[in-house]
Amino acid sequence: MQTLIPTLLSACVSAGWTVQTNADRATAALAASNTWGAAWSILVSLLVVALLVTLLGLGLIYLERKIAALFQSRLGPMRVGPYGLLQTVMDTIKLLLKEDIVPDKADKVLHLLAPAIALTTPVVVLGLLPYGPLAQLADVNIGILFISAISGFGVLGVLLGGWSSNNKWSLIGAMRAGAQIISYELSATLALLVVVMFAGTLSLSGIVESQAEGWWVWRAPLVGLVAFLIHLIASTAEINRLPFDIPEGESELAAGFHTEYSGMRFSFFFLAEFVNMFTVAALTTTLFLGGWMPFHVGEWARFNEVMDHIPPLVWFSFKTGFIVFVIMWVRWTFPRLRVDQLMHFEWKFLLPVGFANLVAASVVALGNWYFYPVA
Amino acid sequence: MAHVESSDVKETRMRVAGIEVPVSIVPRLAKEGYRGRFSTGLRGLLSGMRLTLGYFFGPVITQQYPENRKTLKFPERYRAILKLKFVPMKEAITSWDFKRRDEGLPKVDAHTLRTWLRGYEEVKYHKCTGCGNCEKACPNGSIKVITRYGEITEDRELDRFIWRMDSCMFCNACVQACPHDALEMGPEFENAVYDRRLLIYNLNTQAGAAARFVVEEEAEMRRKMMAPREVCGGPIPLNGHYLPRVEPLQVVPLLDGPAPENAVAEVAL
Ligand code: SF4
Ligand code: SF4
Repeated sequence: MQTLIPTLLSACVSAGWTVQTNADRATAALAASNTWGAAWSILVSLLVVALLVTLLGLGLIYLERKIAALFQSRLGPMRVGPYGLLQTVMDTIKLLLKEDIVPDKADKVLHLLAPAIALTTPVVVLGLLPYGPLAQLADVNIGILFISAISGFGVLGVLLGGWSSNNKWSLIGAMRAGAQIISYELSATLALLVVVMFAGTLSLSGIVESQAEGWWVWRAPLVGLVAFLIHLIASTAEINRLPFDIPEGESELAAGFHTEYSGMRFSFFFLAEFVNMFTVAALTTTLFLGGWMPFHVGEWARFNEVMDHIPPLVWFSFKTGFIVFVIMWVRWTFPRLRVDQLMHFEWKFLLPVGFANLVAASVVALGNWYFYPVA
Repeated sequence: MAHVESSDVKETRMRVAGIEVPVSIVPRLAKEGYRGRFSTGLRGLLSGMRLTLGYFFGPVITQQYPENRKTLKFPERYRAILKLKFVPMKEAITSWDFKRRDEGLPKVDAHTLRTWLRGYEEVKYHKCTGCGNCEKACPNGSIKVITRYGEITEDRELDRFIWRMDSCMFCNACVQACPHDALEMGPEFENAVYDRRLLIYNLNTQAGAAARFVVEEEAEMRRKMMAPREVCGGPIPLNGHYLPRVEPLQVVPLLDGPAPENAVAEVAL
């Protein structure tokens, strides 16, 4: 017992880890010709993703409703279970039991395919995010590139859904989503490039490890903060959340691209929105807020040691939770933009600022003018 | 937002069509440049976020209604029912409390029993003089003030204050119109009924003079000046209108005492 507690404690600290992903474990097992071990690793990965999607869906929808209620001085769900905790579970059951209505003149195959595509892309991203040094399913060496490619692919589900529904509202909503993602993907990527330049790697774990001395949001003077803000704004637009939710603006387009969807197909879109929100928050955390890295301040050895004793998973959840809260906070405060305002904002403001920031960031990176520079 | 300071507004007089009138000259709004719009926009968004964060940590207004019926808190401005203000007085039980009906034994409910045991009852004297101002102020014709000639005061007295909740829009005009502070709006909101006739209220429990005339009198005199009225005993139709498919309620005096015939007579068509 005397030795167990310090051992456990030291197992919890956030410093001095070597990253080991589940994919690494499977490869190692295969190399040792341990087929069952490899299969076990893959099974665990699949289960984790499935569990994560379920928990995120239930948890985030509940949180969104609670937080929305608090922002409006209400209570939110209170009836089903203590503090309405079972509300989303019951809603899921309700959605499962609902009739699956497909419009008569709809393109049946695409109509079925669209929600599946919309949900697939954020789930793929879930498998690549570094939740902790030992809790990552696969670390692709082109991680960032892969993720931005995949998340751009997600809009295909929205486009197909709007197209196949054979409905004016759906089609207009889908086209708006397409225009929006083409525009905002640019700014988001420009902001990503800043971090890629600082870290010198595309791998997500590599980017997290490059922030051991300090998070990019404050370690790179000003440019980090600007890139962080641009990324947050652009990715909020990419996942179609308020104030950028013109593809499903209720006041203009009924329900936009998912007007003709009901039951489980609708809930796929709904779930995709919330998983997307999590992936965006997690990605922002990873790139700008140090991922699972603890908060360190230069030479304060004592302080840093205390921070090290908070497990990486807690750091990651805390930061991601904060970003999710900010996204929700923005949603329940800002009004929805008009289509032209949206385009105006991106092409005339965000994009030039993004480019200027990229140039400034390259100067900073060349001069190694970071706080706490590593030789 | 660009806005105009009140110091920039010039007050002058101008001759318009031969008449001199006071005129305020407001300067044109200066168009803001890109920087100005950016900073005002950003400031607006940030102050919005600060406001919602204040709500987030501020008190929750929602109440868990059916569970907390006993401890419901109402905002002061909440209006759910029209009420007459009353001056309650403890009165000795009078004979008509005991002789309820001629038929058989008196029906004794908990309230009556309590009254008997206490030896007195609380009589609510209204403050209304029957002036009819509220009736005139009401935009919907929801109020009908029926007056009678008081034998003792030798003046106009309130007989029935009839209020139709089904056509009231709770605008508060009647309360503001009353010169005698006799009306108020209350928060009692569970007023749904199965029969729309029950939405026609008789607000006064006693017919007679206003409280300020009554309370000074001797107890014996007070009893003579007033006569009891029931809450839903109002004559229907009202204001000369029938409700479609609704039969008039039978006006049955629950208690002995002066029968309210005059009331019915007044609204008879
Ligand atoms: S509240 Fe308005 S509508 Fe209702 S009775 Fe009074 S004056 Fe009429
Ligand atoms: S309630 Fe007021 S306004 Fe209406 S009749 Fe009585 S005294 Fe007059």
